[in-house]
Amino acid sequence: MPYIYINIILAFVISLIGTLIYRSHLISSLLCLEGMILSLFTLNALLSLNINFTLSTIVPLILLVFAACEAAVGLALLIIISNTYGLDYVQNLNLLQC
Amino acid sequence: MMYIVFIMSVLYVVGFIGFSSKPSPVYGGMSLVVSGGLGCGIIMGSGGSFLGLVVFLVYLGGMMVVFGYTIAMATEEYPETWGSNVVVLGAFLVGLLMEVFMIMWLFSGEHELVGFYFGGLEDLMVLGEEGFEYVREDYSGGASLYSYGFWFLAMAGWMLFVSIFIAIEVTRKRY
Repeated sequence: MPYIYINIILAFVISLIGTLIYRSHLISSLLCLEGMILSLFTLNALLSLNINFTLSTIVPLILLVFAACEAAVGLALLIIISNTYGLDYVQNLNLLQC
Repeated sequence: MMYIVFIMSVLYVVGFIGFSSKPSPVYGGMSLVVSGGLGCGIIMGSGGSFLGLVVFLVYLGGMMVVFGYTIAMATEEYPETWGSNVVVLGAFLVGLLMEVFMIMWLFSGEHELVGFYFGGLEDLMVLGEEGFEYVREDYSGGASLYSYGFWFLAMAGWMLFVSIFIAIEVTRKRY
């Protein structure tokens, strides 16, 4: 059982690294952010089920609600960028030149 | 078949490496959907069928569909897959190699695997008056959101309501 936890925490670290490293698209960093949320949900759900603490099953559900709000705001920002520059390439975001 | 949940968690990590190596977002979204399905399988291996259903319905069916439409809107003409760019392929192979080495390190050593129980309890058995009863943990936990966790419910509902207005006003550039 701890082997499964190690894999899920490793998945969180991998998608955290993916969020912090930019390639050409901005939306792939948002996708890695969604991956972080998924691994946190999986970890929370497994822990709640395996320690048999029924009331803490609320936590993954609430986490998913907040993740949906965050994804909505992130996608709205992406829409503005895509409307201004045509595509969501990271190299277009060069207003702050320092 | 004892190791099925462990194999699913390994494939889960491989799916995460698949979209973390940043191919074109179309393929990243597909890899995230596969990882979501495997995550549902891992949760169900510990007896959480309600939470697995929540993953499929809310996460994949709600959030990933919105991501899919947005990706289809903001994508390029020739999307690059894992094999078409050496950077993406290199990152994927490095991640895969790291996972294989980690599994080999986990399963080496002098300890036996007998003490590690890969399965899980399906239900919580309760000894009642006339016999055994079953308590589904995740269903009753989700139901307690409406009784004990009412403030959670109120705050989450209010936040969802406000975030719709936030998304509309941000898209209209009225921030």
